[in-house]
Amino acid sequence: MSANGKPKIAFFDFTSCEGCQLTVVDSLQDHPELLNVVEIVQFREAMSEKGEDYQIAFIEGSCTRESDEARLKAIRERASLVVALGTCAHLAGVNALKALHPLEDVRKYVYGDKWEWYETYDARPIEAVIPVDFAIPGCPIDRNEFIAVVKALLLGKKPPIPDYPVCVECRLKENVCMYTKGKVCLGPVTRAGCGAICPTYGSSCEACRGFISNPNQDSMKDVLAEAGLSVDDIMNIYTMFTTYQVREKLLQKG
Amino acid sequence: MSLTILSKQAFQDFVARILADYRVAGPTSKDGGYIFEEIHDPAELCMDYPTTLLPPKKFLLPTREVLFKYTRQNGGVLKDAPEPPPTVILGVHTCDLHAIQLLDTVFCSGHFDIHYMNRRKKTLIVSIECLNPCDEHSFCKSMGTLTADEGYDLHLTDLGDRYAVDVGTQAGEQLISKYATTKAADKEDIQLLNAVISAKWPKFPYRLDFDVSELPSILELSMKSSLWQELGDRCLACAACTNVCPTCFCFDVKDEVELNLVDGQRVRMWDSCQLDEFATVAGGHNFRASRALRQRHRFMRKGKYILDAHKHLGCVGCGRCARACLVDITPVGVFNELYRQQEAGS
Repeated sequence: MSANGKPKIAFFDFTSCEGCQLTVVDSLQDHPELLNVVEIVQFREAMSEKGEDYQIAFIEGSCTRESDEARLKAIRERASLVVALGTCAHLAGVNALKALHPLEDVRKYVYGDKWEWYETYDARPIEAVIPVDFAIPGCPIDRNEFIAVVKALLLGKKPPIPDYPVCVECRLKENVCMYTKGKVCLGPVTRAGCGAICPTYGSSCEACRGFISNPNQDSMKDVLAEAGLSVDDIMNIYTMFTTYQVREKLLQKG
Repeated sequence: MSLTILSKQAFQDFVARILADYRVAGPTSKDGGYIFEEIHDPAELCMDYPTTLLPPKKFLLPTREVLFKYTRQNGGVLKDAPEPPPTVILGVHTCDLHAIQLLDTVFCSGHFDIHYMNRRKKTLIVSIECLNPCDEHSFCKSMGTLTADEGYDLHLTDLGDRYAVDVGTQAGEQLISKYATTKAADKEDIQLLNAVISAKWPKFPYRLDFDVSELPSILELSMKSSLWQELGDRCLACAACTNVCPTCFCFDVKDEVELNLVDGQRVRMWDSCQLDEFATVAGGHNFRASRALRQRHRFMRKGKYILDAHKHLGCVGCGRCARACLVDITPVGVFNELYRQQEAGS
């Protein structure tokens, strides 16, 4: 806690596009009063100061190399609460796609003949390295949800992240179902909280926020197959944002 | 109460005039579908719509509504939500009319709901006779909702170039006499109305294989049916069925605090018995943890529990849930299958 009684918060980034932190900057423009209730001590995206004394750490990005682990652990040591900010930190997200190819091929594709100079391993969510208290899902995060989570944390409450599917928000917005339009959509198994923003603007849900706790994946796959998707097609849409989770499931099954 | 005639042009003028004094909602087209929406011009109306994505219920029980605002300063002051505007809902089909009668019973008696009642008493309903089935999913005729003799302020029947208007309430009488130019129905109008009404009934099929009066007892004997597990295996628990339902009325209530952490508002939003968390209580126990139990609960509500509690069937045969379901779970399919199982077992 700072001398003025405001909790100190800090933002960190690992492997990511930093779009979630940009969304935070954006929320600060809509809600500058956020700065009346917290003190930001570290936020590379928005300020030069770097305080190392903080209570809440928001971490964007996946862990993609062994040397990231020490930095993550140091943040965990200092912070009372660690919040995964966005899909890369929460689920490993699109970074995990590289696990679908031999690592050496990926390294050569990205770094060319200097591939051996750069350390990397399969992307993982930060929870694979340190305990995480809460996650704000999404690619990128939803700005309103970020503010709602901050308010909940300041009040000592559990952040209000929905555990129901995107279809709920989509139906209440009176969108014509993507399946009615002859498209496929992962809304029935994907965690809501985005306000069904993609279907609202005509694009199918690709599960960027990850799955609800208890999705009926067998039935979802039947729906996709009935819509004409092959097993490969289904794997393709399932691995866009959730390769790490799909692989974990497959590994569990052997 | 009484029958009068409104030409199509006079109807347009009527809508244009009430727009000056009321919030007016009616069926409009959206992205290949139809929704009930606040309109600002009579030309936005699609009075011959087949069905809407959400029922008109949303104007009486909004998907999300602020119940009151509060502040934690000065001993916790409450401020009521603003008064709802006087509203006219146009083009309500008779299935939805029956559903609103159920909602009125639920929210305006016993543990009455002041927020619903405030909206309801400021809402006038102009319903319209259905002359063709919406599509293959509607089963209003089986549910006894293909017509209505009460529940509306005004009821329209499309006679081609004019509407026959049945005045249902005094408020309806006042609305039409103040805002519309009508003429008394003559013999030809009445003959045409009779011809239109008698021509419509054969177009609507009965879709239940039994009489709807048997539905509660069929359900009562179906608690242990194997069908529930089959439905549970298929159900995505996406809650589309309950969210599009004109009779579902479950809601959740939450407090939303401002960033000053002092002021806030209490909101309620629609909830669904099909969602995992619906029957989860403090401590984490879930009384209906499986999708099978939740589907059984849903159909029991529709065909029995609601009837027992409120004297109205909980299903009006609009077919919205059947249209919305991605895995083809439909009331007609479920009710007929339970009937078949019982016939086979007895």
